[in-house]
Amino acid sequence: MAEITFDRVTKVYPDGTSAVSELSLDIADGEFVVLVGPSGCGKTTALRMVAGLEEISRGELRIGGRVANHMLPRGRDIAMVFQNYALYPQKSVYNNMAFALKIRNVPKDEIDRRVREAARILGLTQYLERKPKALSGGQRQRVAMGRAIVREPQAFLMDEPLSNLDAKLRVDMRAEIARIQRMLGATTIYVTHDQVEAMTMGDRVAVMRGGILQQVDAPERLYEQPANLFVASFIGSPAMNLVEASLEAESGRLHCRFGDSSLAVSDICRQARPEIEAYAGRRVVVGFRSEDITDATSAPEAGADRRLKAVIEVREALGSEILAHFSLGEERAGLALAGDVIEEQDGGASSPRSRRFVARLGPRAPVREGERAELVVDTDRLHFFDPESGLALGRSRT
Amino acid sequence: MAALVTPVAMSRSVERSQRPRRMRLSTQRRLTGLVLSIPALALVVAFVVIPIVQAVYYSMTQWNGVTSTWIGPSAYTQTFHNPAFWQVLTNNGLLLLAVPFALAIPLGIAVLLHERVRGWKFFRSVYFLPTAISWVVIGMVAERFFAYDGPLDKIIGSHTDFLGSSSTALLALAITFVWSMIGTNTVIFLTGLATLDTTVQEAAFVDGATAWQSFSNVTLPHLKRFVQLAFIMTVISAFSALFSLIFVMTGGGPGYSTTTMEFFVYQTGFSQSEFGTAALYGIVLFVMMAVVGIVQLKLIRSE
Repeated sequence: MAEITFDRVTKVYPDGTSAVSELSLDIADGEFVVLVGPSGCGKTTALRMVAGLEEISRGELRIGGRVANHMLPRGRDIAMVFQNYALYPQKSVYNNMAFALKIRNVPKDEIDRRVREAARILGLTQYLERKPKALSGGQRQRVAMGRAIVREPQAFLMDEPLSNLDAKLRVDMRAEIARIQRMLGATTIYVTHDQVEAMTMGDRVAVMRGGILQQVDAPERLYEQPANLFVASFIGSPAMNLVEASLEAESGRLHCRFGDSSLAVSDICRQARPEIEAYAGRRVVVGFRSEDITDATSAPEAGADRRLKAVIEVREALGSEILAHFSLGEERAGLALAGDVIEEQDGGASSPRSRRFVARLGPRAPVREGERAELVVDTDRLHFFDPESGLALGRSRT
Repeated sequence: MAALVTPVAMSRSVERSQRPRRMRLSTQRRLTGLVLSIPALALVVAFVVIPIVQAVYYSMTQWNGVTSTWIGPSAYTQTFHNPAFWQVLTNNGLLLLAVPFALAIPLGIAVLLHERVRGWKFFRSVYFLPTAISWVVIGMVAERFFAYDGPLDKIIGSHTDFLGSSSTALLALAITFVWSMIGTNTVIFLTGLATLDTTVQEAAFVDGATAWQSFSNVTLPHLKRFVQLAFIMTVISAFSALFSLIFVMTGGGPGYSTTTMEFFVYQTGFSQSEFGTAALYGIVLFVMMAVVGIVQLKLIRSE
């Protein structure tokens, strides 16, 4: 196993398109790092550069301490699982897995031992003689995994390996891949656009956008302390509620006002984020997670400066909880929701974001579509961002 | 309720028994299919089956185009004693040796073009050009190329009449044939390569394969069907499309050294007016082609 280092790695295509810009990232031996981001963010290009399938324009890539920029793929000792599996269609499952070992002249009985062991781990033993076309999507995915495992390589690269599977199988394989990775202790780079995969599988998650690394952190920190507006809106489902507000100081307290609503910034929040004091009297983007909102009936003690007068527009009952999509009364049209800011920054490339807020309420919260409701925000857990740079202000409370 | 239902049910059963019996849908479909295929069937019988039967009949006669005398199956045994017949068969066999070259060279070209080497679009047109030129023109160009003191002699610095010498004429013909097949086969292989999933090649490289290992383990197995198709077409061309080339380049000579079965049929029939014997050679050619076709089909089906 080996550590992988991106040192200001840049990829510019001949037509001038910059796919990855100055990517610097250290991946420790045995670590599971997930590269996540929307389509075209450069995550797959970064992975392919590690595999040696894409030339590096500038910067240095090191695998196990050796500069790998000009190494051929076969010299890198790295295994890769492709999005479409890329199995050898004319070879049986056994030979798909054995191929890499055969061309390395590994003794026959050793090949046999490793292939059968991988097949056992992946539950493929009864399919060894089949051709890939006679397998289901999930089985093909396992063969692709098996082909990587038998190599016992320095690192695993996985390019959206679950995206062609149905929802249930994806959940199963997600756990399976995480289990195998832990069992083998292999350095792994996993590319996905699915933030649930990113959050559940990785030791660390690297969020990319437009070829630029936005933040690398443990999943919880990424969720709790997003470095900028993009990460805040990308990580978490439902996405963080973000709204442009003016931060006003009033008799020693800070209030963020948006439309007719006003939320008082709690002392705990102010202590955790002293930087916001400098923004008094200025505009900021304020963010709050959907689970930090409750309905007023379950928090009767909450003061008026924590309450929002909402109009419930859509109510999604999920059994264990209710997702309430709401607007803030008549003033909704006048509010610049920060989703718009992000879209502007993306040049409209990212998916259109909801113009509504979302609250995650208890399963028996008395909210009905089209009706007004009073909601309470946990103002200890507000997030603040600079509206110009999009950067987070201070560190949010963990 | 029962009083209402019973009369309706009764009237239905009466209707059913009075209605004329309809054909089942599957029978109707089968009949329609038969009716619709009659015109095609008639054409095949008129222009393929009857001529074949006639050819078999005439192959056992002595026929000068006007009068025919029945000889019987002994016509075949007589033919098998004709040394010219065996030389012609040998020529056909030797031409088959050119087939691997007519496949391997286009395969190499197609792989290079597929790699998008510099100027690949230009070269693609260049290699396809022979396909767009008539066999007669190809033959005339080749005749000049191989002529005594022609371009080839100048290149290799000799004074040989390649087409005039029985030891080199067939080779010259084979080279021309290979050259003329390059375009078609290159296009077939390029089509095959275009359908190759490049990630499978990438997977092979990541698995540690060299360029050759990737070619032999991924590209070539993928191209198997395309190679089979090109093989069939090339063999068929070698047996049945070289008439114009031979006619223009050598006229089948010197002696019988470049006469193939196809040309032999023409010579025997139209130069020597032995239509019965020509029909016999036609039958032999037909059997040869049939054997190639059947073997090929077996190979494809066996997968």
